Amino acid sequence: MKKEFEPKIIAFLCKWCSSAGSDLAGVSRMEYPSNVVPITVMCSGSMSPLYIFSAFNKGADGVLVSGCHPGDCHYIKGNYYARRRIALVKELLQFIGLEPERFKMSWVSAAEGIKYKEVISEFVEEIKPLGPQTKLRREL
Amino acid sequence: MEKILQKKSLPKWIEKCASYHIYAPVKKDALWHYNIIDKPADVQLDHPNTVISPKKLIFPLREVFFEYQTDDEDKIEIKEKTPKDAPSVVFGIRPCDARALTLTDKVFQGDFADPYYLKRREMTTLVGLTCNTPPGHNCFCLSVDGSPNSKEGFDILMTDMDDRYHVQFLNKKGQKLMEKAKDLFKTPTEKDRKAAENIWKEAEKKIERQIKNIKTIPQKLKGMFESPLWDQESLHCIRCGICTYLCPTCHCFDINDEVLSSSPSKGKRVRTWDTCQFPDFTMHSSGHNPRGDSASRLRQRIMHKFQYFVTKYKNYQCTGCGRCITKCPVGIDIIDVLEKVRDYGS
Amino acid sequence: MVNLEELKKDAKRILQDKKVKYVIGYRRGVDGYEAIPAFFKAPEECDDLVWDPTCIHNLVRFLRDEKVRKDREKEPDKRPVAIIAKGCDTRAINVLLQEQYISREDVFILGISCEETGVIDGKKLRKKIQGKKIKQIDFNGKDGFSVITEEGKTEVAAKDVMAQRCIECISNYPIDHDIFFGEKKKREPENPFDSLDSLQSMPNEKRWAFWKEHLEKCIRCYACRSVCPMCYCDECVVDTISFAVFADTPAEEKANKIKWLEKSPVSSENFVYHLVRAMHLAGRCIDCGECERVCPVDIPLRHLNKFLEKKAKELFDYQAGFDPEAPALISSFKEEDPEDFIR
Repeated sequence: MKKEFEPKIIAFLCKWCSSAGSDLAGVSRMEYPSNVVPITVMCSGSMSPLYIFSAFNKGADGVLVSGCHPGDCHYIKGNYYARRRIALVKELLQFIGLEPERFKMSWVSAAEGIKYKEVISEFVEEIKPLGPQTKLRREL
Repeated sequence: MEKILQKKSLPKWIEKCASYHIYAPVKKDALWHYNIIDKPADVQLDHPNTVISPKKLIFPLREVFFEYQTDDEDKIEIKEKTPKDAPSVVFGIRPCDARALTLTDKVFQGDFADPYYLKRREMTTLVGLTCNTPPGHNCFCLSVDGSPNSKEGFDILMTDMDDRYHVQFLNKKGQKLMEKAKDLFKTPTEKDRKAAENIWKEAEKKIERQIKNIKTIPQKLKGMFESPLWDQESLHCIRCGICTYLCPTCHCFDINDEVLSSSPSKGKRVRTWDTCQFPDFTMHSSGHNPRGDSASRLRQRIMHKFQYFVTKYKNYQCTGCGRCITKCPVGIDIIDVLEKVRDYGS
Repeated sequence: MVNLEELKKDAKRILQDKKVKYVIGYRRGVDGYEAIPAFFKAPEECDDLVWDPTCIHNLVRFLRDEKVRKDREKEPDKRPVAIIAKGCDTRAINVLLQEQYISREDVFILGISCEETGVIDGKKLRKKIQGKKIKQIDFNGKDGFSVITEEGKTEVAAKDVMAQRCIECISNYPIDHDIFFGEKKKREPENPFDSLDSLQSMPNEKRWAFWKEHLEKCIRCYACRSVCPMCYCDECVVDTISFAVFADTPAEEKANKIKWLEKSPVSSENFVYHLVRAMHLAGRCIDCGECERVCPVDIPLRHLNKFLEKKAKELFDYQAGFDPEAPALISSFKEEDPEDFIR
């Protein structure tokens, strides 16, 4: 029996909202795909585009950036900056020909355990048929 | 040994050399590069010089020395990656590039015999093409003890004579290739020989740029370490690295470990090209850089090529290919700098 | 038409009056018809100043070196440096002012208008002239260039040999200057993002193949980075060494410097380098086109930066280099910034 491809997703989650949201999903015993490697960042606004390119370079099949809803950022404005920067990163990755489904951004608050579960489940379903990410993956 | 090969027989000869990997200059968009050839008919020998010299086939831009891996007991296993047996032939090399390989040979066979470089060098047969007309406007091979017809570094040297090639087999390695298709090669007639000699004579006259009295330069440089000339000439240098990367004689390299995983510890030790123009050249671990500015970098480059190398190896570390002049983004001209060195103070 | 004699006269004057330290301009190259960047320190040297269609270089790049020199001196000479700047170049100066890398008093701008024609793309010109040796090339005062070859003089229409970035130029004359040369004749591009159209209309996989083929060629000579006026970081993120190391930096910190990409010029690492550079130039690149011109292996680098320039305009109504007081693109935001891509 052939083992089904399980995409590896790197999720950059802001500590105060999205990471807490993912914790809530866990504590509430929600079941969702285990393809995610979560990385907590202090704020989605602290995300350097380098982290995203590096994640794809190291072989991530999908990358998610998740932060607080506009207006709820623990640092007041961080997520507004993120909204701009991540928009540009998304456009650039699509411009060079990476499948647009592989890179996503979401707003997940600390109370949205269910939303986190949905975001991850949808993400995994979308990129499973695409197979492993080979375009930007390091080949050394 | 001299032979004549009809131009139309060139693809047949290459076909017979199927046991070798064949490299030749290939044009992509507007640039020529040495690439591996699948079809013998793709070998075209009517090219100006390539952007990157054939040095990249002997001394690649990236080369893996060894792979390492630790097992469960933290024992390290090392797998050396010396180049595999893969005899190759490179066609269409210009005399400046082949001469350059004899210079890098001195470095890689000197105090330490580099097994990676030497294996590739030994496996590669170099087939040259004399420059009937200079491949570039900035050629100055004659000034640095070279020539458009130089045999140095070649195993085989071809001269384009319109419908045929005059082919010189210069050693056993070259002769092996001739034996693959003996019947394609004819003995040159007196007319052939005279025509070839005429082409060679005319070729030397066509080199436009010269450096007169270059012999005085190494000694002159010895007294010019503190000269303000370097500041003057390097004001507009942007320290990009193009001159050194395209130079067929430059051979600086960096060695790094590319770590593929930390647990188990796995990685590769890799050599890549490096240049004296990058920010980390002469960088101390304290962060101080005694030669960080453009002036000392330009001085370093000129002195290395025309004084240090001369002292150590009795040759200029430059074969006059002119690539650095053509491709410098800000028009720094090594011939001009050398002439200024030569005439400095007089 | 730009009056070259006026330019020389003014350059001499500001040097004679010791108003500026030196003039960054253009002179004829050592061998050939092309101009090269040059520094003029004495008034009489200004006789060698040229202004012709080969003056493509962005001289703002040399303001980087000037700043580094000044920072090293205990008592720096506070006079400005004069610089010959085309329209695009003045926008580069504005970006440096915006980021407070330099102050307005550090530069004396000799602004030159490109008027009707912009400057040439050397490769296009050589193709058009087909191997004939070019001796000189001048603006012809109309919509073209006068090219003198060994065979005589020919007129070449600008649109045949103009640099692509000039065809798409939105600032063909200086937007800031201390002295202005030429006329403020606006040249509106038909399509300021013309070069992107074919790429953007390609299907994803074809576009990927395009970029893979080109970025595979990259030899990581870093000429693109070296020539860019905006790449002024003392320590570039791709150089895996630390400049900022002090006497009390612990050994562990030195040893654990993050290596974002390997030095090897392989496709995956080349992509990281070029993508990061494009992002670091988002909202800062003013499309002087130098990166593409200097690339020894002909990678169409401009397109990467131009794409982000287009997106900055489309999504955030932002254009780099027009207002030195404006905030940077990525350290500012508007309430209305689009978020339809966010789940």
